[in-house]
Order: sequence, then structure tokens, then C-alpha cells
Amino acid sequence: MDISKIIRSAVHLKIVRFFHENQASIDTPRGVATWISEDRLKVKEALEELVAGKILVADRATSTTGYSYTRDARTIAKVEKFLKDNTAT
Amino acid sequence: MDDLNNNHLYQKELFEKLKKSISLKREEECFACYLKPACWWIIERPNPRINELSAQINVACPYLKKGSELSRQGCVNELFSIVKKASESKALVKFDCARGLHGFVYPITQGEKLYGYIGACYAKKDVSAQILDIFSAFTDTIVREIQKELELSRLYETLRPRAIALSTVHTVHRLISSTLDLNELLPRIARLSLQIMRANRCSIKLIDSKRKILLPKATVDLREKSIRLKKVKVGKWAPGKAVKFGRPVRGHDYLAVPLIDEDVIGVITVYDKIDKKEFGSFDQEIMSTLAEQAVIAIKNAQLYKEQEKLTMGSIKALAKVLDTRAPGTYVPRASFLKIALAMGQEMRIPLGDLKSLEYAAILHDAGEIIVPYELLTKPTKLTGKEFDLIKEHPMAGVEIVKHMKALRSAAPIILHHHENYDGTGYPKGLKKDQIPLGARIMAVVSAFEAMITKRAYRIAKTIDDAAEEIKKNSGTQFDPKVVEVFVSVLKRKDIRLSLEKELYGHI
Repeated sequence: MDISKIIRSAVHLKIVRFFHENQASIDTPRGVATWISEDRLKVKEALEELVAGKILVADRATSTTGYSYTRDARTIAKVEKFLKDNTAT
Repeated sequence: MDDLNNNHLYQKELFEKLKKSISLKREEECFACYLKPACWWIIERPNPRINELSAQINVACPYLKKGSELSRQGCVNELFSIVKKASESKALVKFDCARGLHGFVYPITQGEKLYGYIGACYAKKDVSAQILDIFSAFTDTIVREIQKELELSRLYETLRPRAIALSTVHTVHRLISSTLDLNELLPRIARLSLQIMRANRCSIKLIDSKRKILLPKATVDLREKSIRLKKVKVGKWAPGKAVKFGRPVRGHDYLAVPLIDEDVIGVITVYDKIDKKEFGSFDQEIMSTLAEQAVIAIKNAQLYKEQEKLTMGSIKALAKVLDTRAPGTYVPRASFLKIALAMGQEMRIPLGDLKSLEYAAILHDAGEIIVPYELLTKPTKLTGKEFDLIKEHPMAGVEIVKHMKALRSAAPIILHHHENYDGTGYPKGLKKDQIPLGARIMAVVSAFEAMITKRAYRIAKTIDDAAEEIKKNSGTQFDPKVVEVFVSVLKRKDIRLSLEKELYGHI
């Protein structure tokens, strides 16, 4: 898995950083957009891409989708390293 | 202990910011013009020891650097008593030192709390009270600004995780209240609990109060070697104890939280955090909130299931009453219901519409009550008038079901289940997508049922012959996509066995 290809924009990075720092969080696109101060539609699109990249997990219901952080230790370790290398961003 | 640590941390941060403060540096530069020259020092604790003070002054004061040990000690002692005075008065204290030089000590406070001091000495010029008032006011503003900044940052650090947790709880509430199907709800609650707790395993057990036992209803286990679902006696193990005492039971690697409505109805237990850490009080707080929401969702789903059972009971009773008139006419065989539902599922009909399909499958020919018994069992071909009467039965069926609210959604299926895909059916002559999907499914199942069931006017076809007949009419009488799904469902072993058992009494 090439993390840098999945986390391909500033919005992606902000989302991943949010979930890495708040690993117990489950939130809707609207909620995540609020926490990272970004446009909801951009966030929604990025969230789906991060789900496809297996960094996030989606729990889909009829009214909304809840997004949360992966539980895979190897992915978490890769993200950790990526975030450290991109602290200035 | 936490308060003490927090206090130390706050003090440290306060002085770090103060030492880096550009405003304070400018203020010192500005006041140096009046003090000519002065050395500045900061004491980072409210009750400094004399040797700490000595070290501070040593670095700052040029006089002490040159003076003898005795005069140095005298100076430090003098300053120590000034600091003490400032500590008691919590106000700026001005002084003249033994060398005839001038200085002052300004205590840094917040309310009644004293944090440390800013001092200036080695001033050759006496400092007027007005200048010191201005210094106090300026310094006070700088310190307050830093204190506010620190408080805001503390508040943000404390509130943000709480707000994020609250948002998580809200999202979980939305996710679990969006389904009334217990089979979907319980695994979802388990999955979400696991996610929130960052745990490896979650189990939901519901109580069987008669047997005083907890029955496993949903388990999510992420470990390579998962454990089998187990019944647990009330009072035994963490889940049993949580239920017995009606409060959470927490250990290093488990947390069991009871599901309490009026009584305890079950328990959610999470095990083994991914990071191997201990379950803490914050985890317990969050899980208890989640359990409160879960119990509402579970009770709603249970009530819905009860309601559904009641509705289904009423529908079956109605069908049975109708069936006494012409046995085998109104009550469809269980396997036909199965076929209709399997087709609906395969065509991804939403859960609510699937229920309507089930109700319609039971009552689709209820309207035949208006058709005389002799006509229903007439062995010869129907006349035009007789067929016109038969054609009225879908509308009559709707008239029967429309009085029950739960059945209203089934009415379009009942009304249109004799429409043909090419528009040649009745009562409205609808074609293709104009016909509701449920009605297109029902048309196939109902025709199939009629063909393989023995009637007074014809011999029953075999399952395969009837299926061939359905295929032949694909695109004219029936929707080709529906026929495709029907053929695939009919190939299913469970469906085939159920049909054969019901029709021929053997497998």
C-alpha cells in the first residue's frame, strides 16, 4: 500500500491526521468537515477515497455514513510514519 | 496529584511564554531608559530558596560579579527579604540596595495565586512611583494576556476530545437508530463499540429472564483465533456480573456494560484493546452512553418485530378465513412466499417494500371473495361476462386491505399483479415500468403457483414445465428481468426442496 498515493491532498492529510489523533472517533462527513475546517463536499469525496485505500472504515446506514479509522496495526504504523514525515504540511 | 501536576505544568508554560514575550522585552528596553542601567531577573516560583535567588542575581547583576563573597551574600539576603515582602503584599515592592542602587520586585499573580516574580535592580537612578505604576500596569497586561492564552489552550485541549467524543456518540446514535431489524442492528452495535473502544472483540448478549441466562446475539472478533459464542449465567463472569448488579464491570482487558431499560435486558462486553492498554473510566463513560442509546434502538427493534408479528398474524388469519370458502385458493403455500421474497431480495428491494411484497403475496387473491364459488371452480372455459367479473378481483382485494394501515403499501402490488408486461393485462393495462416491481414479481409467482397447482379446470403442470411456460412468456406477459431472477431462484436447492416437499409431500 502506497500511503502517499492515497493521502494525495491537503484535505486527505487533514482527515487522516484527525482520525490518527482521535482513533476512537466515528463521524459523518459533516462532522469531519467541521473538525478540520474544510468544505463538506471535498471532505466527503476524500473520505470515500480513504475508505477505498483502507485507511478508513465506512459504516453505512440509510440516513448517513459513519467514518472511522482503520484497526489494522500495520496501516496505522505506516500512517504514523507518513504523518511524522509530513509534519510541516 | 493531577491538580498538582497541572499546576506545575501551567507555571512552567507561563514562564516559558513570559521569557519569550516580545512585549516584555520591549517593556524592559523602554524602562531601562529610566533605570539606567538595570539588570532584570525572573524568579519562576512563588517561594524561591535563597540559593536559587543567589544564582539568578549572580547571573544578572554586574556588581555581584565583581564584589566579595560577603557583600554578595548581604545583597542576596536583602533581595530575599524584598521578595518575601512582595509575596506577602502581592504588590510591587520598591527597594534601595546597600550600594545605593535601586530596584523593585513585581509579583506575578492570578487572583490569590502567586506564581513568581519579575525583578529589576542595579538601577543608578531612583524610580518614581508614577513610573512604577506604569510598569505594573504594562506588566500586568502582558501577564494577563499570556494567562488567557494558556487558559484558552487548556480549554481547547480539554473540550476538543469531549466534543469529538460527543460527536461520535451522536453519529453512533444516527447509525443505530436507522434500522429496526435486530439481525442488522446488533452486529452494527457490536462493530461500532469495537471501533470506539479500539478493542479486538465485542459481544452482545441478551437476557433470557426465565432461564436467568445470557444468550449471545452478536459477536465481532478480530483476532485470528476467534472464540465460539457462549451462553453465560447471570452473575457469572464479567457480562453476568454486569447484568446481576446492573452496573459496568471493568477489568484490565474487559469492560462489560449492562443494557438497562426498565430492567436489565442484556450486556455489551468489549475485550482486549488493540494497543493492549487498560480500559479506563473515560472508556466506561463512553460505553455507558453508547449502551443507553443501544438499549433504545434494541427496544424499538423488538417492538417493531412484535408489531410485525401481530400484523402478520392478522393477515394470516384473514387469509385463513377467506380460504375456508374455497380451500387452497387464498392461502398460498409457504414455498411460494419464499420464492417471492427470495426474488425481492435478489432484486435488492428495500426492507420495507419486501414486507409489502410478503403481505401482498399472502393476500393477492383476497379479492376473489366477490367471485361466486361455482365460477372459481368451473371446469369449463369462462364466458366474457364471467371473465369480466374475475377481472374485478384485484380492485376488490385493494378494498379489503386498504382498511389496515400496515397493508396499504401492499395495495399497488395486489391491484396490478394481473397486469402484463406488454400492456395487455388488467385492471389498468399498464406496461413495463409503469407496473410496480412488486406486482411484476407477484405476476410471475402467482402464474407459476396457478400452473403447478391442481385446479378443477386443468391438470397441474410439473415444476419444470411451469418454469418453461413462464420463460416462454418473458417479455410479453412477464418482465424479462424478473423472469431471469425467478429462474435463478428456482435453481436454489433450498427453494426446490421446499417446493417439492409441499407439492408432493417428499424430498
